[in-house]
Amino acid sequence: MSSALAGKFGYAGGMPERKVRPIWDAIDSRQYKNALKLASSLLTKYPNLPYAMALKALILERMGKPEEASSICLEAKELLHKNVTLLMDDLTLSTLQIVFQRLDRLDLATSLYDYACGRIPNNLELMMGLFNCYVREYAYVKQQQTAIKMYKLVGEERFLLWAVCSIQLQVSCGQGGEKLLGLAEGLLKKHIASHSLHEPEALIVYISVLEQQAKYGDALEVLSGKLGSLILIEVDRLRLQGRLLAQSGDNAAAAITFQKILEMCPDDWECFLHYLGCLLEDDQSWCNDATRAQRCLPESLDKIPRITDDLFNSHIQDASAFVRKLETEASGDSKRGPSLAYLEIERRKLLHGVGDKERLMDALVQYFSRFGYLACFCSDVEVFLDILTPDEKINLLEKMKESSGSMSIGPTKSLGQAISLQKMQFQIGITYKLHDAELESLAVKMINMYRENLPLSKDLDPQESMHGEDLLYMASNILVQLYWRTGSTGYLLETVMMLELGLNIRRSVSQYKIILLHLYSHLGALPVAYEWYRSLDVKNILLESFTHQILPQMLLSPLWEDLNDLLKDYLKFMDDHLRESADLTFLAYRHRNYSKVIEFVQFKERLQHSNQYVIARLESSILRLKEKADNIEEEEGVFECLKCGTQALELASGTLCDSLTFNEELQLRPWWTPTPKKNYLLDPFEELDHPTDNLDHRKEWETNVREKLEKRSLLPRMVYLSTQCVSASIKENIEANGSECGSIFSLEMKSLLERYVKILGCSLDEAVKVLLDVAEGQRPLEALGTDLIEWVNFAVFLNAWSLSSHETVLPMGEESISLWHVVNSLLQKSIESKVRIIGPQGCSPGGARDLSVLVQLIGEPMAWHCLVLQYFIRSSLPCGKKKKKSGGPADSSTSVLSQSIRDSVLSLYSIIEVVVEWLKKEVNKTDDEAVDHLLSFLVSDSNEGPGKVYQALKDLISTADEGELGDRIFKGINSWSPTDIARKTFKGQHKMMSNFLQICNSKLKVLEAIKQQI
Amino acid sequence: MTTIRKFCCNDLLRFSSVNLDHLTETFNMSFYMTYLARWPDYFHVAEAPGNRIMGYIMGKVEGQGESWHGHVTAVSVAPEYRRQQLAKKLMNLLEDISDKIDKAFFVDLFVRASNVPAIKMYEKLGYVIYRRVLRYYSGEEDGLDMRKALSRDVEKKSVIPLKRPITPDELEYD
Repeated sequence: MSSALAGKFGYAGGMPERKVRPIWDAIDSRQYKNALKLASSLLTKYPNLPYAMALKALILERMGKPEEASSICLEAKELLHKNVTLLMDDLTLSTLQIVFQRLDRLDLATSLYDYACGRIPNNLELMMGLFNCYVREYAYVKQQQTAIKMYKLVGEERFLLWAVCSIQLQVSCGQGGEKLLGLAEGLLKKHIASHSLHEPEALIVYISVLEQQAKYGDALEVLSGKLGSLILIEVDRLRLQGRLLAQSGDNAAAAITFQKILEMCPDDWECFLHYLGCLLEDDQSWCNDATRAQRCLPESLDKIPRITDDLFNSHIQDASAFVRKLETEASGDSKRGPSLAYLEIERRKLLHGVGDKERLMDALVQYFSRFGYLACFCSDVEVFLDILTPDEKINLLEKMKESSGSMSIGPTKSLGQAISLQKMQFQIGITYKLHDAELESLAVKMINMYRENLPLSKDLDPQESMHGEDLLYMASNILVQLYWRTGSTGYLLETVMMLELGLNIRRSVSQYKIILLHLYSHLGALPVAYEWYRSLDVKNILLESFTHQILPQMLLSPLWEDLNDLLKDYLKFMDDHLRESADLTFLAYRHRNYSKVIEFVQFKERLQHSNQYVIARLESSILRLKEKADNIEEEEGVFECLKCGTQALELASGTLCDSLTFNEELQLRPWWTPTPKKNYLLDPFEELDHPTDNLDHRKEWETNVREKLEKRSLLPRMVYLSTQCVSASIKENIEANGSECGSIFSLEMKSLLERYVKILGCSLDEAVKVLLDVAEGQRPLEALGTDLIEWVNFAVFLNAWSLSSHETVLPMGEESISLWHVVNSLLQKSIESKVRIIGPQGCSPGGARDLSVLVQLIGEPMAWHCLVLQYFIRSSLPCGKKKKKSGGPADSSTSVLSQSIRDSVLSLYSIIEVVVEWLKKEVNKTDDEAVDHLLSFLVSDSNEGPGKVYQALKDLISTADEGELGDRIFKGINSWSPTDIARKTFKGQHKMMSNFLQICNSKLKVLEAIKQQI
Repeated sequence: MTTIRKFCCNDLLRFSSVNLDHLTETFNMSFYMTYLARWPDYFHVAEAPGNRIMGYIMGKVEGQGESWHGHVTAVSVAPEYRRQQLAKKLMNLLEDISDKIDKAFFVDLFVRASNVPAIKMYEKLGYVIYRRVLRYYSGEEDGLDMRKALSRDVEKKSVIPLKRPITPDELEYD
């Protein structure tokens, strides 16, 4: 029975619909047990009916029984192949397809549909199913072939467009050459000649095919012809036309088109820039590709004007006249477009060398008096300030101040203006030049201003942002600047206190939360930072663009459980999306939104290559190795899951590293840490003109990510090989003929070691020399630089490798040095020096970084070395009897080795004991003692240093008046408690220490056990 | 000075300043992408100079017969760009598309009954409370179904308020 007939007679997959419905209902409501019961009984009634089998498989898969589901599916597939009389409808196949997809066996679904299409030719439904399979597999050529078949069968426009999209995908995301576009064009032309086009999206695709081949003239002809009327919104059609004209080089016509758009949408800034760009013939924004990803304003600063002065003057006059017209029409309206357009014209004149700075500044002052109260004022005018010298900027600011004094506006607008003026000070860099005392009083001024204006927000809904919230944000920037300059922790704590107060007053100011998150991280109270991060409810796609605010700190912390959650949530989101993306692409096909098809595929690729995604996958593998390193059996389970570390190696393969994408939204980061790599506060103070977005930092960060990925991706495999080298070496000692396996591992380990040190910047021989020098005290520990962890890791792996290697690892003349000793010495030096540096202050701001290094030293190289020891013991013990029997020369080398092991265990034990002793002291500090200590930073006994802001905050509390502020704000203010905040901070620091202590204690236990066994 | 254009996937990676607002829901990917795949004309973003995202609107068109209507699923503006009528601009755009392109009878939207500022804003834009949906939000808070009639509904039948509140299972559409 065909599926059409099935539908007609209420049949589904060969049985009455009424029998199937309850099963689907149960599945939909997740009552899988019940669903399984129904499906099983159905299967007894209709044995060997593929649809019934598919249903059962589907349920089993949902119940978490993939193997059973898989075997039923395969059985059904087999049946369908063998028995030609069986029903082969889309319902059955699509149900099987769902299960195959969830089992990650898309290929099986595809081959099934492929077979079905062969057996029942010309069945459109099955062909669509097959097409869908190819969409899921990103098999663009096959997609194209299937779509063409469907098109030939029914001649429908949509199938032709499916084919054309598949061709475009081959060109933009696959291996296809641009020649293919000619084929797409030909197909479309032929179809248009006989049938024309009927969907707006079809026209858009047609034009994009022409555009991709740079056939702008042809595209314009199509657009202005009969087909052009398919685009119903006039402005959309004009935009397309303007773009094509500009690309074709017809600037004059393009300018006229953009002018028309502006007459309809005078506030369209992008359009205005295109208009001006075409008029002045310097618009480069079309030059690259026309995808949305490349949207950027014309970077006019480094552009050489190509038109003559006369032409420029005459065109700019036209533009001015046009903008004046727009301005008159828009007067009284809140549209900023025309006013800003006027500023842009003045800017362009200056860039061309015919402008007048006074005029630009006057225009800016005018703009300020109209729109200065808006929160976005400063970001609006940013680009115009760039053209002024520092003195001119100061001059401008003065003029703005004057103009604001002479205006009579309401209190809200007046506050808005005052805030804009303060923001301007930051923007032009004045603030960063002030003396400490001036800066401090500026912060106090802002707090007072915030306090004075609180009554304005009395009647606001709690959901609405309050007036003056920016003030505390700005004050926080000043205080952090002061902290950086002076190193006084008090400033940092004042900032924390202030923002906590702000959040008491209104709970959902995300910009405060972001600052706090970084400050608590810096104070070593990462658990509190994490809490604030969580309060931002970062989920779904925000996990990709926003997690960078917390992930780097978490990766270096002892909060393994929270880190695990963070990584898991993120990876789940990404994996889910990558899995379902193709289905959504098919949805776009089905709904004939063809341009979205290409966009979705490109977006999937963008996410797939996300640097954060690769990092998260890699780091979650490493985290699992770290967590289980103290239990050899569990660690072996981890090795198995990670394919003995080869999975990580594949993750950072060359091609992937080259095409990494960086999707983090860095704009929301605080000024002192513009990228996850850079943190000014960790470096000595330096004068900065304007520490905002810095492209160099971005590049530096991207390079660092690539390098780091390369290093870290070797780690799991090297850990695995270390254990294998140790095991093999024991075997070799026992079985005199050696083991083949051991030498394979040993060879691979050598090549990885070479790769590893190459990233560190040297050859294997050089690296060994460096290690020996540092271990023997001929070079200081600092010689290892910022790659300390990597170096110590290297020492551990080198030692493990040397056990099974027959090569001489040590340089001539130093053969007597024991690598065991080198590892012990390095671990001891690095760990004890960190403990010393951090000292009794625990998690002081500076100490947080050293603490994270310490955590890594124990969590990584120390853990790997303990693992090597455990493997040694395990490999040697069960063979104890054999060892005795074998006797001979092996014995003496074994005993030397045993002695080294014993020494190493004792050494490690005493190193960790030092850390444990120190941590215990930290953990045993009482709340009150610590809170008093923290609060003491806030009170200054002299006129200098922190304390004034804290006082201003206390004044804010003491002068708060319920009648003036309203119940909500008043309550918020009164719930602020510095002691509670200090306590919370301490508890966060304490949790770091106690988690770390747990990790150390676990290591001690392992070493204790090994000691017993030696 | 705003550029309003169709929303695209890449914008999802740049809208955190809008979505970190606690009243703005960050939906899962299939939700956004279903809207993009099915109703791309109803999903717009507003950009400021320097490509900063100011806000966006997402919606759809659905229904049968006289209940063929545009629906606003979400409209949100970043704090920095509030109080300059951007939401109004975005709403007008969606209404225009519902009215002129899809010839819908009305536009509707749901709002938390407690979200007074939003309700006031919608009223200013010409929306009326058509009915109350009991415990619409996570089974707790009531939602208000607000509507605005379009030119095709000449007699404005679609916005005559219902007398009694309804429950979520009585809703015609999800």
